[in-house]
Amino acid sequence: MARSRPKKTRLADYGLNSERLLWPRSGAAAKGPGAFENELGPLEDKLMLTTVEKAVRWAQGSSIWPDTFGLACCAIEMMSIVSSRYDIARFGAEVFRSSPRQADLLIVSGRVSHKMAGPLRQIYDQMLEPKWVMAMGACASSAGMFNNYAVLQGVDKIVAVDIYVPGCPPRPEAVIEGIVRLQEKIKAGLPPAYEYREVAIT
Amino acid sequence: MSYDGVPGLLETREAFGETTLVVETARLVEACEHLRDEHGFAFLADITPTDYLGWGTRGVAGYIGTADGRDLNAPGSQGLHKLPEPKPTRFSVNYHLLALRQGAPRVRVQVWVEDGEPVPSVVGVWPTADWHEREAWDMMGIRFDGHPNLVRILMDDDWEGHPLRKDYPLGGEPVRFSGEE
Amino acid sequence: MATTERRVAVDPDVYTAPTTYPDGRPTKIPSPVPSVREVPEDLRGSDDVMQVNFGPNHPSTHGVLRLVVDLRGEEVLGMRAVIGYVHTGFEKNMEHKQWWKAITYPERIDYVAYQHNELVFVLAIEKLLGMEIPPKALWMRTLMCELNRIHSHLVWAGTSGLELGAVSMFWYAFRERDMILDLYELVSGYRMHTRYFQTGGLAEDIPVGFYDECRKFLEWMPKAVDDYESLLTANAIYLERTRGVGVISADDAVALGLSGPNLRASGVDWDLRKRDPYLAYDQVDFSVPVASDGDVWARFAVRLDEMRQSVRIAAQCLDRLEELQGEPWIADDRKVVLPPREELHTSMESLIHHFKIVTEGYRVPEGEVYVPIESPRGELACYLVSEGGPKPWRVKFRAPSFLATAAAPTMIEGTLVADLIAVVASLDGVMGEVDR
Repeated sequence: MARSRPKKTRLADYGLNSERLLWPRSGAAAKGPGAFENELGPLEDKLMLTTVEKAVRWAQGSSIWPDTFGLACCAIEMMSIVSSRYDIARFGAEVFRSSPRQADLLIVSGRVSHKMAGPLRQIYDQMLEPKWVMAMGACASSAGMFNNYAVLQGVDKIVAVDIYVPGCPPRPEAVIEGIVRLQEKIKAGLPPAYEYREVAIT
Repeated sequence: MSYDGVPGLLETREAFGETTLVVETARLVEACEHLRDEHGFAFLADITPTDYLGWGTRGVAGYIGTADGRDLNAPGSQGLHKLPEPKPTRFSVNYHLLALRQGAPRVRVQVWVEDGEPVPSVVGVWPTADWHEREAWDMMGIRFDGHPNLVRILMDDDWEGHPLRKDYPLGGEPVRFSGEE
Repeated sequence: MATTERRVAVDPDVYTAPTTYPDGRPTKIPSPVPSVREVPEDLRGSDDVMQVNFGPNHPSTHGVLRLVVDLRGEEVLGMRAVIGYVHTGFEKNMEHKQWWKAITYPERIDYVAYQHNELVFVLAIEKLLGMEIPPKALWMRTLMCELNRIHSHLVWAGTSGLELGAVSMFWYAFRERDMILDLYELVSGYRMHTRYFQTGGLAEDIPVGFYDECRKFLEWMPKAVDDYESLLTANAIYLERTRGVGVISADDAVALGLSGPNLRASGVDWDLRKRDPYLAYDQVDFSVPVASDGDVWARFAVRLDEMRQSVRIAAQCLDRLEELQGEPWIADDRKVVLPPREELHTSMESLIHHFKIVTEGYRVPEGEVYVPIESPRGELACYLVSEGGPKPWRVKFRAPSFLATAAAPTMIEGTLVADLIAVVASLDGVMGEVDR
């Protein structure tokens, strides 16, 4: 007798637990796919599901090495996740690589001024695929409290962001949650953001 | 501390425990050298340009509170429409000086200029004025004559406009419920 | 041009060491542009000299500082600093916010010594208002600022140790830093950018349990500073890398507008907490460390000693605060300060005042003030112009790191690339403050 596997149509079936990714998850509106799932499109096409790919994704997700891209206050909190109390080395981010060529994750921590936007994009371009971007803090996600001439209104205007971590600055635990959710996203097989989000493609 | 000998002195004001010396723009460098050499103000703390465009048009009214509360015996102290005094020109450039000696005396030197009028540079008097004047040029568009390197410092090199001027918009994105008027 | 030809006598109480360089030179400030060191005439255009760009994204530039250096091999011949990569437009943004909403902005300017930024803005508003704050608020502000001074020096010690290769220093320093942030979280709910200082006093009362936790921390901290000293103070490599490097004389430091530990390391005994006291600094016992060499080592030693002195001040503040338990923490002026929430149920006037203060904002009398304080980086000051309305007209923050970064080319004469990193690290520049 053939065992029938339950059909996996939602990201939750692939192991993603982040609420924001999957909202709404319960209640009346939970019947259909959420906004992010709609954005991705048909999941079977998008997600890498062969055994080899799963293994690769597992390895990639468990050893994301961030790039030292501290800009402002969030950089100080980013330093504290490296320190011994909120140690992200136990989540796989063993070292912060100074060279973008050797880094996997660009944690944009801090406000991005228009003058810095150029170098930011250059650093992003120098990173080798697959690469992920975390917008850490309110300023990177959406310019935070700085709705003015000098600050880029959200770093997702120039790079494709995988995960946003709100806060001003976010607690170290919040940043770690961001990294953990990103790891889940990777291990579930979701492609990095530049594959399904078109941002500043030249 | 008597500032009568300062060259080009137009007015001396005392307010909130601070002394402000309003000086003729043309004799600014002389006045600064006098203050540095005769009075010992060797430390230039800050150069701040201020734009007074639209000063007094916002209609500030009402009672200003004190630590003890409202004075019921002062008639007309509520709802009194009080406009600030108009300023002589659009821009003022303020130099905050400090003397490194007992008592930490401070003084503010103020010059008033119009849009486009240059101010003599005090880089020769205090080398620290270099970046302060560059920032004043970048942010307010006040030109300093005699500055060796008057280029933009905070904004991009090819930025147009001087952001801290009152007629320069705040910028950013339109946001619902931002609370801005 | 150094102000060596003084006609006014130098105050020996302030200048505790010779004010010129040991080799007799009056000044090292480059000319004609004080903030740019040019390659010497004979080497300009030579093939030996290469222009290299450090940053803005570089692991050891304390934020986004870009240094354009001309190198001949390892020797730094020319240098200039390019800033503005984290320019946020604080000053313009604050002109559009009401006074109490604007308090969240200064915190983020110098994001390591955030309490000092809040303090200077709030002191400037209170000076214009002519407001007296209750003693509890005075002492608590002093305590929070001293804890912030320790925090700032810890972040500096950790990151500059890291840049020089003393990686262990980073772990040690951040261990204590997390303890301080726990205290801040206990008091205000936030680790950083606490918005705890409000016009008139403090935003909230001091919670129960704070006194014990703070006491525990203050008892632990001197041992931690002993740890740092055991790591670096007698460390031959560290001494080799920092002694005699990045020397600046007192004359040049004053001419370039340096203040704080950078100035005190050159022999100038100038600390606004002693010379021009604000808050409760005239009522506490502490000493100001002053070194005379003016090199990177002196700046390190001054900051380390300052941490010890801050612990002393904080302990005295805590003693005083324990006596003041139960006192009001914010002034009673209802035109400026929000009324306590219980009153809103019973008093119509409180309700109206609450409404007016929240929606329109309180009004600050017309005038201009300049309020300087001693932040961990030097003289931090706020120049505030008010039109008499609910929003500031002009706010300018005089940032000490701005001048320190401009002074870097003066200090790097004859240094190597590795020394350049040490010098820039020792200036303790925070780019948020430099660019505002």
